[in-house]
Amino acid sequence: MIEMLPEWLLGWLGEDGIATLNYLSNGKHVAWYASVKYTFIAAFAGAALAVLFGLLGAAAKQSSFFILRAIGNTYTTMVRGVPDVLFLLFFPLAFEQSAEYAFAYWRCTPEEIATATSWPLCQAAQWYLGTTEYLIMACVSLGLVYGAFAANVIYGALQAVPKGQLEAAQAFGFKPWQVFWHVQVRQMWVYALPGLSNVWLLLLKATSLLSLLQIIDIVAWADRLGAPNFLPMAGLVHPDWRWKYYLALFVFYILLTLISERFFKALQARVSRGMVRAE
Amino acid sequence: MDAILNNAFVQDLIILAKPALYNIYFALASIPLGFPLAVLLALAKNKPNSWLRKPAEIFIYAFRGSPLFIQFFMFYSLFLAFNQSTWKPLGIDWLVMSPLFIGPLVLVLNTSAYSAEIFYGALRAIPKGEVEAAQAVGMSKWQSFRTVTWPNMLRLAWPAYTNEVVFLFHATALIYFTMPVIDRQKDLMNKAGELFEKDYALFVHFSAAALYFLVISIAIFVLFGWINRYLNRHLSTSKPLSFKANYLR
Repeated sequence: MIEMLPEWLLGWLGEDGIATLNYLSNGKHVAWYASVKYTFIAAFAGAALAVLFGLLGAAAKQSSFFILRAIGNTYTTMVRGVPDVLFLLFFPLAFEQSAEYAFAYWRCTPEEIATATSWPLCQAAQWYLGTTEYLIMACVSLGLVYGAFAANVIYGALQAVPKGQLEAAQAFGFKPWQVFWHVQVRQMWVYALPGLSNVWLLLLKATSLLSLLQIIDIVAWADRLGAPNFLPMAGLVHPDWRWKYYLALFVFYILLTLISERFFKALQARVSRGMVRAE
Repeated sequence: MDAILNNAFVQDLIILAKPALYNIYFALASIPLGFPLAVLLALAKNKPNSWLRKPAEIFIYAFRGSPLFIQFFMFYSLFLAFNQSTWKPLGIDWLVMSPLFIGPLVLVLNTSAYSAEIFYGALRAIPKGEVEAAQAVGMSKWQSFRTVTWPNMLRLAWPAYTNEVVFLFHATALIYFTMPVIDRQKDLMNKAGELFEKDYALFVHFSAAALYFLVISIAIFVLFGWINRYLNRHLSTSKPLSFKANYLR
């Protein structure tokens, strides 16, 4: 890699610069850079699921059916009282336990279940989770937690759609679900966008918690790479450099925020062309 | 009575009472410092031509634009890097390296950035006429700040600030995920995790911890609602602070 750089650049970098570049492009660092994929997968899949759960939650909240409304309101208020990290840990564990409970009835003998003293009920019911499973569950729990935030935003946006539009659609003989999906949801996005961009920024920052679910993401790698590195052959390679790696992540997330804000600003300008602005 | 006490959930609530105090401590230690710092930052950001504006803007953007989780890690490892060279010789490593010190420190920086943005928004929403009226009657800058800017800012920012305080309280759950536990000083999430690893009764332990968070959040809403009513006492239409004031940070 380094040999491919032009001569003048190598001259400008000097001995130390080349050594630093070599260090920053060794196998472990490349693995660190590659692990950013988990962050992005969790962010994008989580965001897609959050919009889906948000739509469902908002639809439940404005339903005329009492029970659906209660479910929607419970869902959107639960995130207010409890930290997101609790849900992020709770959902995957709860899902794993439910699956193992189901496995137990399927794979264990009745005697094993009757005499079981610990979890899982028998060895055959143990479910070993790999990174892929954890990543999927992280996406789902991010989607659930931030879906509740999105549901509030979308609910507000649905209410902001002019009533006349809905009445016009009804007058044309649209069925209720058609009015909801083709008119109300269609027109809602433009009102929801500022709120949804806030939810996206929250979700983006929450992707730093992936390492709590045993995913070796950028945070876990930063911890490993920065820890005091001692090799029997070479002695102390470097002291505790963790703060440098975390500083890099700090800057990385600020840049992601910056880019997201620019993107949403441009998107907002694009989708609201032709709209009457209140200002 | 014994039947209630022997209930697993009630047992958990009793066990988790002491860990909950750590979360409350973290929040109580950071609010009194975070509030004035946030006001100063907001005032600095609101000054149109001042060398203070740019630093305040950058500080607020940096701490709002990055995850608190990373901020905890960053400051803890930064302090750790100076442990042998600075804190140990000075004999203050027991204080500086304690999560009970670094936790509130990072929370102060984080919450002051978020609250400063709220106060800045409130400063921009202060009725222009009131400020002009204060000038017209010949008030000094300080008098006009004390009688017009300050009460209006506080009143306008209060519902959003209430939310920020609740988020701050929730953020205290992250401290012991990023720093080592010293002397069995476990907080709610930590203790719930420890209980979970003993008997895998997930739903009991985590809902007990969640209940503590919920109850304390509601207590914050009620307390701040009273203050909100006091701040708006001159307005005849003062509504009580809604529980659905604002969902986002």
